[in-house]
Amino acid sequence: MPSDKNQDLNYSKPRPGQEFDIAVLPLQNTTLFPDTVVPLAVGRERSSKAVEAALSTEEKLLACFTIRTPDVTGSDAKPSDIYEIGSIVNIKRMMRNEGIMQLVVQGMERIRVIDWLQGEPFIKAKVQILPDLRMVDKEECEALRRNLQTMIHEALAKLPNVPPEIRMSVMSQNDPVQLSYFLASVLDLGVETEQKMLEASTVDDLLSLTHAALARELEIMELRSKIATEAQTEIDRAQREYILRQQLKAIQKELGEDESGEKADAVKMRERLETADLPEDVRKEAERELRRMEQLPQAAPDYHVIRTYLEYILDLPWRKSSIEKLDLKEAERILNEDHYGLEDVKKRILESLAVVKLRPDSKSPIILFVGPPGVGKTSLGRSIARSLGREFDRISLGGMRDEAELRGHRRTYIGAMPGRIIQTLRRVGFNNPVMMLDEIDKLGNDYRGDPGSALLEILDPQQNHTFRDHYLDLPFDLSKVFFIATANQLGPIPMPLRDRMEIIQIAGYSDQEKLHIARQYLIPRQITENGLQEKHLAIKDDAVNLLTSRYTREAGVRQLERAVGNIARKIALKVAEGDERKVSISAKDVKSYLGAPRFYPEEARQQLPAGVATGMAWTEMGGDVLFIEATLLPGGQGLTLTGQLGDVMKESATAARSYLWSHATEFGIDPDAINKNAIHLHVPAGAIPKDGPSAGVTMASAMASLLSGKKVRSDTAMTGEITLSGLVFPVGGIKEKVLAAHRAGIKRIILPERNEADIDEIPEDVRKELEIIKARYISDVLKAALESEVTPGRMEEYRAPRKAKKPSAKVAPAIHK
Amino acid sequence: MAKTINRYFQLLSSSRDVKPSARLWDPAADIYTAPDGWLVKVELAGVSAEDIEIEIADSCLTLSGTRRDRVAERGVSYHRMEITYSRFEKTIQFPKSIEGASVETSFDNGLFLVRVRK
Repeated sequence: MPSDKNQDLNYSKPRPGQEFDIAVLPLQNTTLFPDTVVPLAVGRERSSKAVEAALSTEEKLLACFTIRTPDVTGSDAKPSDIYEIGSIVNIKRMMRNEGIMQLVVQGMERIRVIDWLQGEPFIKAKVQILPDLRMVDKEECEALRRNLQTMIHEALAKLPNVPPEIRMSVMSQNDPVQLSYFLASVLDLGVETEQKMLEASTVDDLLSLTHAALARELEIMELRSKIATEAQTEIDRAQREYILRQQLKAIQKELGEDESGEKADAVKMRERLETADLPEDVRKEAERELRRMEQLPQAAPDYHVIRTYLEYILDLPWRKSSIEKLDLKEAERILNEDHYGLEDVKKRILESLAVVKLRPDSKSPIILFVGPPGVGKTSLGRSIARSLGREFDRISLGGMRDEAELRGHRRTYIGAMPGRIIQTLRRVGFNNPVMMLDEIDKLGNDYRGDPGSALLEILDPQQNHTFRDHYLDLPFDLSKVFFIATANQLGPIPMPLRDRMEIIQIAGYSDQEKLHIARQYLIPRQITENGLQEKHLAIKDDAVNLLTSRYTREAGVRQLERAVGNIARKIALKVAEGDERKVSISAKDVKSYLGAPRFYPEEARQQLPAGVATGMAWTEMGGDVLFIEATLLPGGQGLTLTGQLGDVMKESATAARSYLWSHATEFGIDPDAINKNAIHLHVPAGAIPKDGPSAGVTMASAMASLLSGKKVRSDTAMTGEITLSGLVFPVGGIKEKVLAAHRAGIKRIILPERNEADIDEIPEDVRKELEIIKARYISDVLKAALESEVTPGRMEEYRAPRKAKKPSAKVAPAIHK
Repeated sequence: MAKTINRYFQLLSSSRDVKPSARLWDPAADIYTAPDGWLVKVELAGVSAEDIEIEIADSCLTLSGTRRDRVAERGVSYHRMEITYSRFEKTIQFPKSIEGASVETSFDNGLFLVRVRK
């Protein structure tokens, strides 16, 4: 037996507690257990030296300890970084491979460090062999061992590709300690757990640690297999879809539908894109979308979305303008040809066009035509387009309530479309059309949206050169577009919008003008439209006049044209039946074609009782006359107002009464008549709401007439706002009102003096037939309106109920004063 | 799925090619029956005769000892090592008790011979 004097002791008969000196190999992330065979690769210098030292001993023994901290490597591990319990191993094989030593080692015994002997050139320590593991509770150990075996069974069932020899040796391993050590080295449990298992000093501890570790591993395995199954299902479905799609493609190819397939589509699109004249940023965006489209299969939902989008981009006139041929003489000729009268309007249009001509690059003006229906606002727009040589298109804004209708929907929405502006430009094909925004006063504006605000951008020359439709999401230059808006009323148009437009008011036509229009435009047009010829039908002037006065009531000529059309249709029936004789229609024939007159001229109560006055009103349809009736309620108090009057109108009624009261004697009124009686004022027709201050003079006249007993002259109509101090203020809509009064057969008109300028607007032929009285004070009005004689009647009684018992003659002087 | 688990298994075992093992080197042995008993031949090349211990208990014959690397010269270092130098223990079981039998051992070209005569 060799002595123990050299460092490699005689290990042949290991005894627990035996101590010896040995080279140490620190291990990273690995724990070596007794009874296991493990391959190791050693490359670091200090580790190699330790292995060399071990190899030079007779029994090739080496001590392996695991490094405690994971980020310390084997070459610089200090003793303090290393666990103190490890294994002694026997090196069974060694091969050198490119400077790395590959070892196969077998764990032998557990050892504990007693003393660290050296750190360089390799670590050397005095170690002691630890005793074998004690078994504390035999039954429990057996139970745990069997449990382990069951779990191993389970694990192996999940691992079909385990080599059979391993399967065999694991299953046949009955020693619980060896089994545990084997499992610990097979499973990747982490350094800490593995070290704990190595340090376990009883079989019981070791087994329960192994049990816990294996149970955890099993759980992970189960989870993994579950995830793998799910992933597999997902993959299977995608694969199935792919295969079906390929088949579909093959079928389409067989059916010859491939030609119109995605490739051809995209290729066509690319050709168009390359030849299209697009701004740089638009082209970039289009290229990007096209690339996306080329990568998509035709069946993808996005494919068609992108396709429509690209088509829109390619169709839009980004840079295409129609050539302008602006000749002011020609423009004037066209305007005159298309429209009779409207001299002011035409003049203003020509002025605007002149600016366009002088500065072609200037922002196009935005014109707003305001006027009653049927006066030719839309056709004026058409004439402007014609005289400019530009395209014309109109967008009706009436009832539009969604901003998206103007500006489009974002492309994220299904079925998204660009707004009406962009759609119109695409249809027109030029970027400088005359675009008519019809009925701008009837834009909806409520909780559902406010398209008017979108119009603010569209109609602002400062902003609209980069108009961004939500759908396109690209800036489009609208500044070349000639916008014309129309409205019936200015009121509902929001201020900021009104502010952006040049407002041109178009009032109604007089009967004389209507006659001209009918002669020049309506009758010839209706004759052609109904398939007739000049030789079939003639409508005489007196018939036209009858139509305008008794069969229609409007500021424009739309109903008149319809009435003419009506007659023309009846003639057309006759002609179609073979009777080609010319029919000449005069006033007396109208009734047989159109039936009884629908309207009676609002003339015109021939005799007005005291307390009734004729006023003039402005309506959307033009003007109208209205009668204000006042009556005295004996013994009552205050003022009753009926006829759906607005606040302003009510207030001016009160003002009229107060003025008369305070100036009673001046107008021959007994103050007591006002003081002791109530007045009821009514404005027919009761169903129509009325408002505004312009009936002030009329109400004052009616009340003055009532209280004084002097009738208001029935041939006189009046308008004007009054003040408490007796002034008459100017009002609007003079032309319409005067025309209406003229239609109604009124001969005298009382207007505020300050409305003098408006008198010029009244057509010459109408003005000639009227006596126009300019009033500055209410007294002027009353003087002109009231008859000078007191008409005897019941009013007498009301005026002085207190003195009713006395002879009324006594009262009279006061009144006549 | 099979692949996944396979990979998982490889992760477990292949990367750490651990094999369960008997604690010790298990030298190969041939056992002959002879007219007067048994002849056992064990591969124990490089083990010196004095390092081998023989033990008999009932029907078992146990050989144990250690193969030591005694040939190595000063100044050499390993380039490759395939021979196991380790303690060994080999137990041979006979059909019946061999207690009291005479045992004779010898070395023949690296093979350790044990004759068991009744």
